[in-house]
Amino acid sequence: MHPQDQMTPNERLQAFMKGDRMDRILAMPILVSISHRVAGITHREKRASAEKQAQSQIDCYKSYGNDLMIIEYGLHGVGTALGTEMNDPEDSLPAIVNHVLQDLKDIDRLDFNKTKKENDPWFAKTLEACEICQEKMGHEVPTGVLIAGPFTAVSSIYPTENLLRATRKNPAAIHQLLRLCTDALKDIYKEYIKRGIIIAMCDPIASGTLLKKSQYTEFVKPYATELMEHIHELGGMCCYHICGNTTSIVTDMVDTGPDMLSIDNLVDLEYVKGQVGERLPILGNVPPVDVLMLGSREDIYESVKTCIRKGKDSSKGYIIASGCDVTQNVPIENIAHMMEAVRKYGRYPLDEGLLNEPATDHK
Amino acid sequence: MAKSKEELLQQLSDCVFEMEDESVAGVANEYIEAGYEALDGVLKGLVDGMSRAGQMYEEEEYFVTDLLVCSDAMYNGLEVLKPHLPQEEGAGAVNYKCVIGVVEGDTHDIGKNLVRIMLETAGFEMYDLGRDVPLISFVEKAKDVNAQLICLSTLMTTTMPGMKEVVDMLKKEGLKDKVKVMIGGGPISQAYCDQISADGYAVNAIGAVSLAKKLVGMA
Repeated sequence: MHPQDQMTPNERLQAFMKGDRMDRILAMPILVSISHRVAGITHREKRASAEKQAQSQIDCYKSYGNDLMIIEYGLHGVGTALGTEMNDPEDSLPAIVNHVLQDLKDIDRLDFNKTKKENDPWFAKTLEACEICQEKMGHEVPTGVLIAGPFTAVSSIYPTENLLRATRKNPAAIHQLLRLCTDALKDIYKEYIKRGIIIAMCDPIASGTLLKKSQYTEFVKPYATELMEHIHELGGMCCYHICGNTTSIVTDMVDTGPDMLSIDNLVDLEYVKGQVGERLPILGNVPPVDVLMLGSREDIYESVKTCIRKGKDSSKGYIIASGCDVTQNVPIENIAHMMEAVRKYGRYPLDEGLLNEPATDHK
Repeated sequence: MAKSKEELLQQLSDCVFEMEDESVAGVANEYIEAGYEALDGVLKGLVDGMSRAGQMYEEEEYFVTDLLVCSDAMYNGLEVLKPHLPQEEGAGAVNYKCVIGVVEGDTHDIGKNLVRIMLETAGFEMYDLGRDVPLISFVEKAKDVNAQLICLSTLMTTTMPGMKEVVDMLKKEGLKDKVKVMIGGGPISQAYCDQISADGYAVNAIGAVSLAKKLVGMA
Protein backbone atom coordinates (compact mmCIF):
# COMPACT_ATOMS: atom_id res chain seq x y z
CA MET A 1 0.00 0.00 0.00
CA HIS A 2 1.24 3.50 -0.83
CA PRO A 3 2.74 5.12 2.29
CA GLN A 4 0.47 8.17 2.03
CA ASP A 5 -2.76 6.18 1.73
CA GLN A 6 -4.80 4.72 4.54
CA MET A 7 -6.76 2.21 2.47
CA THR A 8 -5.82 -0.31 -0.19
CA PRO A 9 -7.39 0.18 -3.64
CA ASN A 10 -9.60 -2.86 -2.94
CA GLU A 11 -10.86 -1.36 0.29
CA ARG A 12 -11.34 2.01 -1.36
CA LEU A 13 -13.30 0.53 -4.26
CA GLN A 14 -15.48 -1.45 -1.85
CA ALA A 15 -16.19 1.70 0.15
CA PHE A 16 -16.95 3.60 -3.06
CA MET A 17 -19.52 1.03 -4.16
CA LYS A 18 -21.24 0.95 -0.78
CA GLY A 19 -21.09 4.71 -0.33
CA ASP A 20 -18.86 4.35 2.74
CA ARG A 21 -16.11 6.69 3.81
CA MET A 22 -12.86 6.65 1.80
CA ASP A 23 -9.43 8.07 2.64
CA ARG A 24 -9.16 9.76 -0.73
CA ILE A 25 -10.86 9.92 -4.10
CA LEU A 26 -10.36 6.85 -6.33
CA ALA A 27 -7.70 7.47 -8.98
CA MET A 28 -7.37 5.30 -12.07
CA PRO A 29 -4.95 6.92 -14.51
CA ILE A 30 -4.90 4.57 -17.50
CA LEU A 31 -1.30 3.37 -17.24
CA VAL A 32 -1.12 0.93 -20.13
CA SER A 33 1.08 2.26 -22.92
CA ILE A 34 3.49 3.81 -20.44
CA SER A 35 3.86 0.85 -18.08
CA HIS A 36 7.02 -0.56 -19.70
CA ARG A 37 8.71 2.78 -19.14
CA VAL A 38 7.95 2.56 -15.45
CA ALA A 39 9.35 -0.99 -15.46
CA GLY A 40 12.44 0.13 -17.37
CA ILE A 41 11.97 -2.20 -20.35
CA THR A 42 11.07 -1.70 -24.02
CA HIS A 43 7.56 -2.07 -25.37
CA ARG A 44 8.61 -5.16 -27.30
CA GLU A 45 9.99 -6.76 -24.14
CA LYS A 46 6.72 -6.08 -22.39
CA ARG A 47 4.51 -7.52 -25.07
CA ALA A 48 6.74 -10.60 -25.40
CA SER A 49 5.89 -12.11 -22.03
CA ALA A 50 3.07 -12.46 -19.55
CA GLU A 51 5.48 -11.98 -16.65
CA LYS A 52 6.76 -8.67 -18.04
CA GLN A 53 3.25 -7.41 -18.73
CA ALA A 54 2.20 -8.22 -15.19
CA GLN A 55 5.40 -6.87 -13.70
CA SER A 56 4.99 -3.57 -15.55
CA GLN A 57 1.58 -3.12 -13.95
CA ILE A 58 2.82 -4.15 -10.53
CA ASP A 59 5.71 -1.68 -10.85
CA CYS A 60 3.22 1.09 -11.68
CA TYR A 61 1.10 0.21 -8.69
CA LYS A 62 4.10 0.06 -6.38
CA SER A 63 5.35 3.42 -7.60
CA TYR A 64 2.09 5.35 -7.66
CA GLY A 65 -0.53 3.49 -5.64
CA ASN A 66 -3.05 3.91 -8.47
CA ASP A 67 -6.37 2.16 -7.95
CA LEU A 68 -6.48 -0.14 -10.98
CA MET A 69 -3.90 -2.28 -12.75
CA ILE A 70 -4.70 -2.85 -16.44
CA ILE A 71 -3.51 -5.69 -18.65
CA GLU A 72 -3.72 -5.03 -22.37
CA TYR A 73 -5.57 -7.43 -24.63
CA GLY A 74 -5.76 -4.34 -26.74
CA LEU A 75 -7.79 -2.94 -29.58
CA HIS A 76 -6.44 -5.17 -32.34
CA GLY A 77 -6.55 -8.57 -30.62
CA VAL A 78 -9.51 -9.98 -32.52
CA GLY A 79 -8.04 -8.89 -35.85
CA THR A 80 -4.55 -10.21 -35.17
CA ALA A 81 -5.96 -13.56 -34.03
CA LEU A 82 -7.76 -13.79 -37.37
CA GLY A 83 -4.70 -12.83 -39.41
CA THR A 84 -4.42 -9.03 -39.48
CA GLU A 85 -0.72 -8.14 -39.75
CA MET A 86 0.87 -5.68 -37.36
CA ASN A 87 4.26 -4.00 -37.43
CA ASP A 88 6.66 -4.92 -34.64
CA PRO A 89 8.36 -1.76 -33.38
CA GLU A 90 11.07 -2.16 -30.75
CA ASP A 91 9.71 0.48 -28.46
CA SER A 92 6.23 1.56 -29.43
CA LEU A 93 2.70 0.29 -29.60
CA PRO A 94 2.31 -1.74 -32.83
CA ALA A 95 0.04 -0.46 -35.61
CA ILE A 96 -1.90 -2.41 -38.24
CA VAL A 97 -0.07 -2.96 -41.51
CA ASN A 98 -2.57 -5.19 -43.33
CA HIS A 99 -6.14 -6.02 -42.41
CA VAL A 100 -7.10 -9.67 -42.79
CA LEU A 101 -10.33 -8.77 -44.57
CA GLN A 102 -10.03 -6.63 -47.70
CA ASP A 103 -13.30 -7.54 -49.37
CA LEU A 104 -16.62 -7.91 -47.59
CA LYS A 105 -17.39 -10.85 -49.86
CA ASP A 106 -14.79 -12.84 -47.92
CA ILE A 107 -16.40 -12.59 -44.48
CA ASP A 108 -17.29 -16.28 -44.50
CA ARG A 109 -13.63 -17.18 -44.83
CA LEU A 110 -12.79 -15.72 -41.42
CA ASP A 111 -12.25 -18.43 -38.82
CA PHE A 112 -13.32 -17.07 -35.46
CA ASN A 113 -12.08 -20.22 -33.71
CA LYS A 114 -8.71 -18.54 -33.98
CA THR A 115 -9.79 -16.02 -31.36
CA LYS A 116 -10.13 -18.70 -28.66
CA LYS A 117 -7.48 -18.87 -25.97
CA GLU A 118 -6.29 -22.28 -27.13
CA ASN A 119 -5.55 -20.88 -30.57
CA ASP A 120 -4.42 -17.34 -29.87
CA PRO A 121 -1.06 -17.07 -28.07
CA TRP A 122 -1.55 -13.34 -27.41
CA PHE A 123 -4.88 -13.90 -25.67
CA ALA A 124 -3.40 -16.75 -23.61
CA LYS A 125 -0.46 -14.54 -22.64
CA THR A 126 -2.68 -11.73 -21.42
CA LEU A 127 -4.78 -14.17 -19.39
CA GLU A 128 -1.62 -15.43 -17.77
CA ALA A 129 -0.57 -11.84 -17.04
CA CYS A 130 -3.93 -11.28 -15.34
CA GLU A 131 -3.42 -14.41 -13.25
CA ILE A 132 0.00 -13.18 -12.14
CA CYS A 133 -1.43 -9.78 -11.19
CA GLN A 134 -4.23 -11.42 -9.22
CA GLU A 135 -1.93 -13.86 -7.49
CA LYS A 136 0.67 -11.30 -6.52
CA MET A 137 -1.45 -8.22 -5.88
CA GLY A 138 -5.11 -9.29 -5.98
CA HIS A 139 -5.43 -9.00 -2.21
CA GLU A 140 -4.67 -5.30 -2.54
CA VAL A 141 -5.57 -3.86 -5.94
CA PRO A 142 -8.05 -4.82 -8.68
CA THR A 143 -6.95 -5.69 -12.21
CA GLY A 144 -8.75 -4.76 -15.39
CA VAL A 145 -8.24 -5.62 -19.03
CA LEU A 146 -8.16 -3.02 -21.79
CA ILE A 147 -10.09 -4.67 -24.59
CA ALA A 148 -11.87 -3.68 -27.78
CA GLY A 149 -15.57 -3.02 -28.00
CA PRO A 150 -17.53 -4.36 -30.98
CA PHE A 151 -16.97 -1.63 -33.56
CA THR A 152 -13.24 -1.37 -32.90
CA ALA A 153 -12.98 -5.16 -33.10
CA VAL A 154 -14.48 -4.95 -36.60
CA SER A 155 -12.00 -2.24 -37.52
CA SER A 156 -9.17 -4.57 -36.55
CA ILE A 157 -10.43 -6.97 -39.23
CA TYR A 158 -11.51 -4.60 -42.00
CA PRO A 159 -9.91 -1.18 -42.81
CA THR A 160 -11.64 1.61 -40.93
CA GLU A 161 -12.13 3.89 -43.91
CA ASN A 162 -13.91 1.16 -45.85
CA LEU A 163 -15.81 0.17 -42.75
CA LEU A 164 -17.19 3.71 -42.52
CA ARG A 165 -18.16 3.70 -46.20
CA ALA A 166 -19.82 0.32 -45.79
CA THR A 167 -22.05 1.57 -42.98
CA ARG A 168 -23.74 3.44 -45.81
CA LYS A 169 -23.18 1.17 -48.81
CA ASN A 170 -23.39 -2.31 -47.32
CA PRO A 171 -24.82 -2.14 -43.81
CA ALA A 172 -25.85 -5.81 -43.82
CA ALA A 173 -22.23 -6.95 -44.17
CA ILE A 174 -21.17 -4.67 -41.31
CA HIS A 175 -23.93 -6.06 -39.12
CA GLN A 176 -22.71 -9.54 -39.99
CA LEU A 177 -19.17 -8.63 -38.93
CA LEU A 178 -20.46 -7.00 -35.75
CA ARG A 179 -22.46 -10.13 -34.96
CA LEU A 180 -19.37 -12.32 -35.39
CA CYS A 181 -17.16 -9.98 -33.36
CA THR A 182 -19.72 -9.62 -30.58
CA ASP A 183 -19.97 -13.38 -30.23
CA ALA A 184 -16.18 -13.74 -30.23
CA LEU A 185 -15.83 -10.96 -27.65
CA LYS A 186 -18.37 -12.66 -25.39
CA ASP A 187 -16.15 -15.74 -25.15
CA ILE A 188 -13.05 -13.61 -24.71
CA TYR A 189 -14.57 -11.41 -21.98
CA LYS A 190 -15.74 -14.54 -20.20
CA GLU A 191 -12.18 -15.78 -19.67
CA TYR A 192 -11.18 -12.52 -18.03
CA ILE A 193 -14.30 -12.35 -15.89
CA LYS A 194 -13.65 -15.90 -14.67
CA ARG A 195 -10.33 -14.59 -13.37
CA GLY A 196 -11.97 -11.71 -11.52
CA ILE A 197 -10.84 -9.10 -14.02
CA ILE A 198 -12.74 -5.83 -14.66
CA ILE A 199 -13.57 -5.32 -18.34
CA ALA A 200 -12.38 -1.92 -19.59
CA MET A 201 -14.25 -1.93 -22.88
CA CYS A 202 -12.72 0.60 -25.25
CA ASP A 203 -14.33 1.40 -28.56
CA PRO A 204 -12.35 4.30 -30.02
CA ILE A 205 -13.53 3.72 -33.58
CA ALA A 206 -17.08 4.35 -32.34
CA SER A 207 -15.93 7.85 -31.38
CA GLY A 208 -18.15 10.81 -32.06
CA THR A 209 -15.12 12.18 -33.91
CA LEU A 210 -15.69 9.49 -36.57
CA LEU A 211 -19.32 8.44 -36.28
CA LYS A 212 -22.51 10.41 -36.14
CA LYS A 213 -25.07 9.63 -33.49
CA SER A 214 -27.31 7.64 -35.83
CA GLN A 215 -24.36 5.43 -36.80
CA TYR A 216 -23.61 4.82 -33.14
CA THR A 217 -27.18 3.85 -32.36
CA GLU A 218 -27.44 1.56 -35.37
CA PHE A 219 -24.02 -0.08 -35.48
CA VAL A 220 -22.63 0.08 -31.95
CA LYS A 221 -25.32 0.44 -29.33
CA PRO A 222 -27.16 -2.89 -29.80
CA TYR A 223 -23.94 -4.90 -29.74
CA ALA A 224 -22.45 -3.01 -26.81
CA THR A 225 -25.71 -3.54 -24.92
CA GLU A 226 -25.56 -7.25 -25.58
CA LEU A 227 -21.97 -7.40 -24.33
CA MET A 228 -22.86 -5.48 -21.17
CA GLU A 229 -25.70 -7.91 -20.45
CA HIS A 230 -23.34 -10.81 -21.00
CA ILE A 231 -20.75 -9.32 -18.64
CA HIS A 232 -23.38 -8.89 -15.95
CA GLU A 233 -24.78 -12.39 -16.40
CA LEU A 234 -21.29 -13.66 -15.69
CA GLY A 235 -21.03 -11.48 -12.60
CA GLY A 236 -18.46 -9.17 -14.18
CA MET A 237 -18.07 -5.44 -14.16
CA CYS A 238 -17.49 -3.09 -17.09
CA CYS A 239 -16.01 0.35 -17.46
CA TYR A 240 -16.93 1.74 -20.89
CA HIS A 241 -14.59 4.14 -22.68
CA ILE A 242 -14.86 5.75 -26.08
CA CYS A 243 -12.12 8.12 -27.20
CA GLY A 244 -12.61 11.54 -28.71
CA ASN A 245 -15.70 13.65 -28.53
CA THR A 246 -18.65 11.58 -27.27
CA THR A 247 -20.78 14.52 -26.17
CA SER A 248 -23.65 13.63 -28.50
CA ILE A 249 -23.75 9.91 -27.61
CA VAL A 250 -23.04 9.95 -23.90
CA THR A 251 -26.64 9.06 -22.97
CA ASP A 252 -26.71 6.26 -25.54
CA MET A 253 -23.44 4.93 -24.15
CA VAL A 254 -24.94 4.77 -20.68
CA ASP A 255 -28.11 3.13 -22.06
CA THR A 256 -25.94 0.14 -23.02
CA GLY A 257 -25.62 -0.57 -19.30
CA PRO A 258 -21.97 -0.20 -18.24
CA ASP A 259 -21.05 -0.06 -14.54
CA MET A 260 -18.84 2.98 -15.03
CA LEU A 261 -18.34 5.50 -17.81
CA SER A 262 -14.91 6.83 -18.76
CA ILE A 263 -14.78 10.01 -20.82
CA ASP A 264 -12.11 11.53 -22.98
CA ASN A 265 -10.71 14.98 -22.20
CA LEU A 266 -12.53 16.33 -25.27
CA VAL A 267 -15.80 15.98 -23.35
CA ASP A 268 -16.82 18.37 -20.59
CA LEU A 269 -17.04 16.56 -17.27
CA GLU A 270 -19.64 19.01 -16.01
CA TYR A 271 -21.89 18.25 -18.98
CA VAL A 272 -21.55 14.49 -18.56
CA LYS A 273 -22.27 14.77 -14.85
CA GLY A 274 -25.48 16.62 -15.68
CA GLN A 275 -26.53 14.09 -18.31
CA VAL A 276 -25.70 10.76 -16.68
CA GLY A 277 -24.21 11.40 -13.23
CA GLU A 278 -27.37 10.07 -11.59
CA ARG A 279 -27.06 6.77 -13.40
CA LEU A 280 -23.47 5.63 -12.89
CA PRO A 281 -19.99 6.61 -11.68
CA ILE A 282 -17.94 8.73 -14.08
CA LEU A 283 -14.21 8.49 -14.76
CA GLY A 284 -12.20 11.28 -16.30
CA ASN A 285 -10.60 13.28 -17.72
CA VAL A 286 -7.13 14.73 -17.19
CA PRO A 287 -5.78 15.40 -20.71
CA PRO A 288 -3.07 12.82 -21.44
CA VAL A 289 -1.25 14.79 -24.13
CA ASP A 290 -1.67 18.50 -23.45
CA VAL A 291 -1.40 18.16 -19.68
CA LEU A 292 0.35 14.90 -18.79
CA MET A 293 2.75 14.80 -21.71
CA LEU A 294 3.37 18.46 -22.49
CA GLY A 295 2.31 20.19 -19.29
CA SER A 296 4.28 21.29 -16.24
CA ARG A 297 3.81 20.03 -12.71
CA GLU A 298 1.66 23.08 -12.12
CA ASP A 299 -0.53 22.29 -15.14
CA ILE A 300 -1.05 18.78 -13.79
CA TYR A 301 -2.02 20.05 -10.35
CA GLU A 302 -4.46 22.54 -11.89
CA SER A 303 -6.00 19.89 -14.10
CA VAL A 304 -6.46 17.43 -11.22
CA LYS A 305 -7.95 20.18 -9.09
CA THR A 306 -10.37 21.21 -11.83
CA CYS A 307 -11.46 17.62 -12.48
CA ILE A 308 -12.13 16.96 -8.81
CA ARG A 309 -14.00 20.24 -8.45
CA LYS A 310 -16.23 19.39 -11.41
CA GLY A 311 -16.71 15.71 -10.61
CA LYS A 312 -16.87 15.55 -6.82
CA ASP A 313 -20.62 15.98 -6.44
CA SER A 314 -21.64 13.61 -9.23
CA SER A 315 -24.54 11.62 -7.76
CA LYS A 316 -23.21 8.12 -8.34
CA GLY A 317 -19.64 9.09 -7.69
CA TYR A 318 -16.58 10.29 -9.51
CA ILE A 319 -13.21 8.61 -10.10
CA ILE A 320 -10.32 10.69 -11.31
CA ALA A 321 -8.60 9.25 -14.37
CA SER A 322 -6.71 10.27 -17.46
CA GLY A 323 -8.97 11.13 -20.41
CA CYS A 324 -7.39 8.30 -22.35
CA ASP A 325 -4.46 5.90 -22.10
CA VAL A 326 -1.26 7.56 -20.87
CA THR A 327 1.34 7.25 -23.59
CA GLN A 328 4.94 6.21 -23.25
CA ASN A 329 6.07 9.72 -24.18
CA VAL A 330 4.71 11.10 -20.94
CA PRO A 331 7.60 11.79 -18.56
CA ILE A 332 7.04 9.21 -15.83
CA GLU A 333 7.52 11.77 -13.07
CA ASN A 334 4.30 13.35 -14.34
CA ILE A 335 2.32 10.30 -13.22
CA ALA A 336 3.80 10.85 -9.78
CA HIS A 337 2.74 14.51 -9.98
CA MET A 338 -0.78 13.50 -10.90
CA MET A 339 -1.01 11.14 -7.94
CA GLU A 340 0.53 13.74 -5.60
CA ALA A 341 -2.14 16.18 -6.72
CA VAL A 342 -4.83 13.53 -6.16
CA ARG A 343 -3.56 13.03 -2.62
CA LYS A 344 -3.54 16.78 -2.06
CA TYR A 345 -6.92 17.77 -3.50
CA GLY A 346 -8.74 14.46 -3.28
CA ARG A 347 -8.27 13.65 0.39
CA TYR A 348 -11.53 13.14 2.28
CA PRO A 349 -13.15 15.11 3.64
CA LEU A 350 -12.53 17.30 0.60
CA ASP A 351 -11.14 20.72 1.42
CA GLU A 352 -13.34 23.17 -0.51
CA GLY A 353 -10.98 26.01 0.23
CA LEU A 354 -8.12 24.12 -1.37
CA LEU A 355 -10.24 23.12 -4.39
CA ASN A 356 -11.28 26.69 -5.00
CA GLU A 357 -7.92 28.31 -4.46
CA PRO A 358 -6.53 30.16 -7.45
CA ALA A 359 -3.67 28.67 -9.42
CA THR A 360 -0.57 28.76 -7.27
CA ASP A 361 2.94 27.53 -7.73
CA HIS A 362 1.98 24.30 -5.92
CA LYS A 363 4.95 24.21 -3.64
CA MET B 1 -33.61 18.48 -75.43
CA ALA B 2 -30.01 18.68 -74.32
CA LYS B 3 -29.48 20.04 -70.87
CA SER B 4 -27.84 23.42 -70.43
CA LYS B 5 -24.31 23.67 -69.13
CA GLU B 6 -25.51 25.26 -65.90
CA GLU B 7 -27.99 22.49 -65.37
CA LEU B 8 -25.33 19.80 -65.78
CA LEU B 9 -22.84 21.65 -63.59
CA GLN B 10 -25.46 21.79 -60.90
CA GLN B 11 -26.09 18.07 -61.32
CA LEU B 12 -22.38 17.28 -61.04
CA SER B 13 -22.14 19.37 -57.92
CA ASP B 14 -25.26 17.72 -56.47
CA CYS B 15 -24.00 14.21 -57.24
CA VAL B 16 -20.95 14.90 -55.09
CA PHE B 17 -22.82 16.76 -52.39
CA GLU B 18 -25.60 14.16 -52.21
CA MET B 19 -23.15 11.22 -52.26
CA GLU B 20 -24.38 9.83 -55.59
CA ASP B 21 -21.08 8.08 -56.23
CA GLU B 22 -22.68 5.66 -58.66
CA SER B 23 -24.58 8.09 -60.89
CA VAL B 24 -21.94 10.82 -61.14
CA ALA B 25 -20.01 9.17 -63.99
CA GLY B 26 -23.14 9.14 -66.15
CA VAL B 27 -23.70 12.83 -65.60
CA ALA B 28 -20.03 13.57 -66.32
CA ASN B 29 -20.28 11.66 -69.60
CA GLU B 30 -23.42 13.54 -70.55
CA TYR B 31 -21.60 16.81 -69.80
CA ILE B 32 -18.62 15.91 -72.00
CA GLU B 33 -20.80 14.60 -74.82
CA ALA B 34 -22.69 17.88 -74.83
CA GLY B 35 -19.33 19.50 -75.63
CA TYR B 36 -18.93 21.58 -72.47
CA GLU B 37 -15.50 22.41 -71.05
CA ALA B 38 -14.05 19.73 -68.80
CA LEU B 39 -12.26 22.23 -66.58
CA ASP B 40 -15.52 23.95 -65.68
CA GLY B 41 -17.04 20.55 -65.01
CA VAL B 42 -14.29 19.90 -62.48
CA LEU B 43 -14.18 23.29 -60.80
CA LYS B 44 -17.77 24.49 -61.01
CA GLY B 45 -19.30 21.03 -60.78
CA LEU B 46 -17.41 18.37 -58.82
CA VAL B 47 -15.20 20.62 -56.72
CA ASP B 48 -18.13 22.87 -55.97
CA GLY B 49 -20.03 19.86 -54.61
CA MET B 50 -17.09 18.84 -52.47
CA SER B 51 -16.75 22.38 -51.11
CA ARG B 52 -20.42 22.33 -50.16
CA ALA B 53 -19.87 18.99 -48.42
CA GLY B 54 -16.93 20.50 -46.54
CA GLN B 55 -19.15 23.35 -45.45
CA MET B 56 -21.70 20.88 -44.09
CA TYR B 57 -18.93 19.03 -42.27
CA GLU B 58 -17.91 22.25 -40.63
CA GLU B 59 -21.52 22.82 -39.59
CA GLU B 60 -21.59 19.28 -38.16
CA GLU B 61 -24.35 18.23 -40.52
CA TYR B 62 -22.00 15.88 -42.38
CA PHE B 63 -19.61 13.45 -40.69
CA VAL B 64 -16.49 11.59 -41.75
CA THR B 65 -18.42 8.85 -43.55
CA ASP B 66 -20.36 11.42 -45.56
CA LEU B 67 -17.19 13.23 -46.62
CA LEU B 68 -15.62 9.94 -47.68
CA VAL B 69 -18.56 9.00 -49.88
CA CYS B 70 -18.75 12.54 -51.31
CA SER B 71 -15.09 12.29 -52.22
CA ASP B 72 -15.68 8.89 -53.85
CA ALA B 73 -18.27 10.60 -56.02
CA MET B 74 -15.88 13.44 -56.81
CA TYR B 75 -13.12 11.06 -57.86
CA ASN B 76 -15.53 8.94 -59.93
CA GLY B 77 -16.53 12.10 -61.79
CA LEU B 78 -12.91 13.22 -62.15
CA GLU B 79 -12.01 9.95 -63.79
CA VAL B 80 -14.41 10.78 -66.62
CA LEU B 81 -13.47 14.46 -66.94
CA LYS B 82 -9.70 14.23 -66.52
CA PRO B 83 -8.81 12.92 -70.01
CA HIS B 84 -10.62 15.94 -71.44
CA LEU B 85 -8.73 18.56 -69.43
CA PRO B 86 -6.34 20.85 -71.29
CA GLN B 87 -2.81 19.42 -71.11
CA GLU B 88 -0.85 22.62 -70.64
CA GLU B 89 -1.09 24.69 -67.53
CA GLY B 90 -2.02 28.30 -68.07
CA ALA B 91 1.02 30.53 -68.57
CA GLY B 92 1.94 32.37 -65.40
CA ALA B 93 -0.33 30.25 -63.26
CA VAL B 94 1.17 29.40 -59.89
CA ASN B 95 0.93 25.80 -58.87
CA TYR B 96 0.81 25.29 -55.16
CA LYS B 97 2.35 21.95 -54.34
CA CYS B 98 1.92 20.03 -51.17
CA VAL B 99 3.48 16.82 -49.88
CA ILE B 100 1.33 14.91 -47.42
CA GLY B 101 1.58 11.70 -45.42
CA VAL B 102 1.28 9.86 -42.12
CA VAL B 103 4.58 9.85 -40.27
CA GLU B 104 6.72 6.77 -39.83
CA GLY B 105 5.42 4.19 -37.38
CA ASP B 106 1.75 5.06 -37.77
CA THR B 107 -0.76 3.66 -40.23
CA HIS B 108 -3.93 5.57 -39.29
CA ASP B 109 -4.68 7.55 -42.42
CA ILE B 110 -8.32 8.65 -42.51
CA GLY B 111 -7.51 12.16 -41.31
CA LYS B 112 -4.67 12.47 -43.78
CA ASN B 113 -6.92 11.31 -46.62
CA LEU B 114 -9.58 13.87 -45.75
CA VAL B 115 -7.02 16.67 -45.68
CA ARG B 116 -5.62 15.53 -49.03
CA ILE B 117 -9.10 15.54 -50.54
CA MET B 118 -9.97 18.97 -49.22
CA LEU B 119 -6.64 20.51 -50.24
CA GLU B 120 -6.99 18.98 -53.69
CA THR B 121 -10.46 20.50 -53.82
CA ALA B 122 -8.97 23.85 -52.86
CA GLY B 123 -6.59 23.69 -55.82
CA PHE B 124 -3.38 22.30 -54.37
CA GLU B 125 -1.33 19.84 -56.37
CA MET B 126 -1.05 16.99 -53.88
CA TYR B 127 1.74 14.45 -53.48
CA ASP B 128 0.39 11.80 -51.14
CA LEU B 129 3.17 9.62 -49.74
CA GLY B 130 0.68 7.39 -47.93
CA ARG B 131 1.12 6.08 -44.41
CA ASP B 132 4.06 4.94 -42.30
CA VAL B 133 6.27 7.26 -44.38
CA PRO B 134 10.02 7.42 -43.63
CA LEU B 135 10.68 10.95 -42.37
CA ILE B 136 13.39 11.74 -44.88
CA SER B 137 10.93 11.01 -47.72
CA PHE B 138 8.89 14.10 -46.85
CA VAL B 139 11.93 16.33 -47.26
CA GLU B 140 13.18 14.57 -50.36
CA LYS B 141 9.80 14.70 -52.07
CA ALA B 142 9.35 18.36 -51.18
CA LYS B 143 12.74 19.16 -52.73
CA ASP B 144 12.02 16.96 -55.69
CA VAL B 145 8.75 18.60 -56.69
CA ASN B 146 9.51 22.04 -55.29
CA ALA B 147 6.66 21.93 -52.81
CA GLN B 148 5.72 24.93 -50.70
CA LEU B 149 4.00 22.85 -48.06
CA ILE B 150 4.41 19.61 -46.13
CA CYS B 151 1.44 18.18 -44.20
CA LEU B 152 2.19 15.65 -41.48
CA SER B 153 -0.42 13.56 -39.74
CA THR B 154 -0.40 11.09 -36.86
CA LEU B 155 -2.92 9.60 -34.46
CA MET B 156 -0.32 8.02 -32.21
CA THR B 157 1.63 9.89 -29.58
CA THR B 158 4.62 7.59 -30.04
CA THR B 159 5.12 8.87 -33.57
CA MET B 160 4.63 12.57 -32.78
CA PRO B 161 8.39 13.19 -32.38
CA GLY B 162 8.75 12.30 -36.07
CA MET B 163 7.04 15.60 -36.87
CA LYS B 164 9.73 17.49 -35.03
CA GLU B 165 12.39 15.53 -36.89
CA VAL B 166 10.95 16.62 -40.24
CA VAL B 167 10.93 20.27 -39.10
CA ASP B 168 14.53 19.89 -37.90
CA MET B 169 15.62 18.29 -41.17
CA LEU B 170 14.18 21.22 -43.09
CA LYS B 171 16.02 23.64 -40.82
CA LYS B 172 19.25 21.77 -41.35
CA GLU B 173 18.83 21.91 -45.10
CA GLY B 174 18.03 25.62 -44.94
CA LEU B 175 14.55 24.98 -46.32
CA LYS B 176 12.52 25.92 -43.28
CA ASP B 177 11.43 29.27 -44.72
CA LYS B 178 10.74 27.93 -48.17
CA VAL B 179 8.71 24.90 -47.16
CA LYS B 180 5.98 25.34 -44.57
CA VAL B 181 5.01 22.47 -42.28
CA MET B 182 1.45 21.85 -41.18
CA ILE B 183 0.61 19.20 -38.60
CA GLY B 184 -2.56 17.49 -37.46
CA GLY B 185 -4.08 14.38 -35.90
CA GLY B 186 -5.80 13.23 -32.72
CA PRO B 187 -3.11 14.00 -30.13
CA ILE B 188 -1.75 17.11 -31.88
CA SER B 189 -2.42 20.59 -30.58
CA GLN B 190 -1.38 24.18 -31.19
CA ALA B 191 0.83 23.86 -28.12
CA TYR B 192 2.71 20.96 -29.69
CA CYS B 193 2.94 22.82 -32.99
CA ASP B 194 4.56 25.76 -31.19
CA GLN B 195 6.85 23.48 -29.26
CA ILE B 196 8.35 21.88 -32.38
CA SER B 197 8.28 25.11 -34.43
CA ALA B 198 5.97 23.78 -37.09
CA ASP B 199 4.20 26.49 -39.08
CA GLY B 200 0.64 25.58 -38.31
CA TYR B 201 -1.88 23.20 -36.78
CA ALA B 202 -5.44 22.61 -37.90
CA VAL B 203 -8.06 20.84 -35.88
CA ASN B 204 -9.78 19.26 -38.90
CA ALA B 205 -9.69 18.96 -42.69
CA ILE B 206 -11.68 22.13 -43.25
CA GLY B 207 -9.45 24.16 -40.96
CA ALA B 208 -6.50 22.69 -42.82
CA VAL B 209 -7.62 24.33 -46.06
CA SER B 210 -7.71 27.89 -44.77
CA LEU B 211 -4.46 27.35 -42.89
CA ALA B 212 -2.72 25.92 -45.96
CA LYS B 213 -3.88 28.82 -48.11
CA LYS B 214 -2.64 31.28 -45.52
CA LEU B 215 0.74 29.59 -45.19
CA VAL B 216 1.50 29.58 -48.92
CA GLY B 217 -0.11 32.94 -49.59
CA MET B 218 -2.79 31.54 -51.89
CA ALA B 219 -5.45 34.09 -52.68
